[in-house]
Amino acid sequence: MSNGGNLAALLPLLLFMAIMIGIGFYVQQAQARGFGRNFVQQYFIGNHDLGGFVLAMTTVATYSSVSSFVGGPGMAWQIGFGWIYMAVVQVTAIFLVLGIFGKRVALLSRKFDAVTVVDIIRERFQSDGLASLAAFIIVLFFCATMTAQFVGGAKLFAAVTGYSYEMGLLLFGLAVVVYTTIGGFRAVALTDTCCALIMMVGIVLLLYYVLSAGGGYTNLMANLHANHPEMFTPFSDGHMPAGLYLTQWILVGICTIALPQSVVRGISYKDTASLHKAMLIGTAVVGFMNIGINFTGILAHGVLTEDLAAYGGVDNIIPRTIVTVMPPALVGLAIIGPLSASISTISGLLIVASSAIIKDVYLHRAHKQGKEPGTRQLRVLSMLATAIIGLVVFMSALTPPSLIWIINMFAFGGLETAFFWMLLLGLFWRRANKLGAFLSMGGGTLVYCLTQGLGFKLMGLHQITIGITASLLFFLLGTYWGKPQDERVLAKFFPYREN
Amino acid sequence: MTEWEKYQQIRREAAYTGLALLVLILFWCWAGFGLSGVEMEIFGLPLWVVTSSIGVWFFALVLVQLLLKYVFRDMSLTEKKGDDEDE
Repeated sequence: MSNGGNLAALLPLLLFMAIMIGIGFYVQQAQARGFGRNFVQQYFIGNHDLGGFVLAMTTVATYSSVSSFVGGPGMAWQIGFGWIYMAVVQVTAIFLVLGIFGKRVALLSRKFDAVTVVDIIRERFQSDGLASLAAFIIVLFFCATMTAQFVGGAKLFAAVTGYSYEMGLLLFGLAVVVYTTIGGFRAVALTDTCCALIMMVGIVLLLYYVLSAGGGYTNLMANLHANHPEMFTPFSDGHMPAGLYLTQWILVGICTIALPQSVVRGISYKDTASLHKAMLIGTAVVGFMNIGINFTGILAHGVLTEDLAAYGGVDNIIPRTIVTVMPPALVGLAIIGPLSASISTISGLLIVASSAIIKDVYLHRAHKQGKEPGTRQLRVLSMLATAIIGLVVFMSALTPPSLIWIINMFAFGGLETAFFWMLLLGLFWRRANKLGAFLSMGGGTLVYCLTQGLGFKLMGLHQITIGITASLLFFLLGTYWGKPQDERVLAKFFPYREN
Repeated sequence: MTEWEKYQQIRREAAYTGLALLVLILFWCWAGFGLSGVEMEIFGLPLWVVTSSIGVWFFALVLVQLLLKYVFRDMSLTEKKGDDEDE
């Protein structure tokens, strides 16, 4: 594995990153022509311009993280087909978020000239405090997730190419910060599309070589049946408890509809035909990826025949598989897939985190004081904010915390607890009010983080069940306790029949 | 569509999307746990393995197709000028 570095593995990656940065510059040039009108809208949301295909790809790519490509299939290797059964619940993620929130936020954002999810929350609940809290939660959890993505990607890079962790981080980490900073949301969407396509290519490539290295499909299956019969049962001899199925439905299926990085994509598309197309394409792509990569993980038993301990944990299964089965000349191509999963998630989060600081905090303050910052100033500040957040996360990934899976899940569940009821009830229930939203977001997230931090579980279920229930109860409590929102505000969100 | 009609339509779409989720969950339970006792094999895999992975995926695609065909409607995302000045 550490053969001093595989130069052939480096070249495709360098080329790919160069293309990504090229896209960033191209977008900046193209957008510079239509400049001046509304820079913030252009930089953070791409001018409501995305077509169906790009919308689907960027939603999927942002949603699919490096753990879906490394930790996930590693678990599939250990558990078997029950893991795919669980992972397939993610086919709901795309059509749910686009189907439930897609048109709602598209219309509202145009009405209020909103660029972020926080903008809409601010308008709905008429609360700067709530908006600031939401922006804070977004920045905090996004930074944690981005760090985990950087760490996961760089570890994979080091394990597969033989070069150092730091070099990997420098290589793809700086690239993602650069292209996101210069190109903004539009560049994120386009690069995400490239990333999603290359992820699928990577899966097919790896599957092909795993099959041939393992002596063909029939042979692989016969060995699996003989040596690991439990892998063909849903509960995998207790390795895959029923509770896990339930909580995964909540955690990576249903509640993902409230993730701000997904919901914001509802602001970005061009017309409803694009949205409809994206629901279908997105569902097809997310299903292909989840089934494909986890199936590959299981088949890797044909090449990694020892116990898990021999490989030092599930996170090492996929890197080891790539190194073992891929011809050295193609290793570079195979590793771009998982790295794409990492950078496409980082870019999507980075631009939203930056928008939270510039649009939700800075610009809002300026407007309140009656100031209107010039386009030039906004441009510099927006790019600076993106670059600084990117670099801070990059630096924190240099001394990496362990267990990427858990950090990632911590942030994931935290965001869901914070935003699920506030968005769902806020946008579809007239009665929902500020106090309810406040209690739900603050209290729910606190309960989730405390129980997660202390390792407290109810009936052995993941803390998301506690978090999401507490969040709902707080919401209802606040809503019935506090007073309804102002009728004029509600009339904008819930129009009356015209006579 | 007027603003009110759009909102009604969006509510309808959201509700049916939720319903599709419910149907998918039921199918998922049946396709995996429900069929895990069946002895039949496809491509060397137990039946439930196929139905609970590719089966669920295809079923989701069919559901989305149905939603798009029968529930979702195209609408303009910008407001008609004039009918939304501050009242």
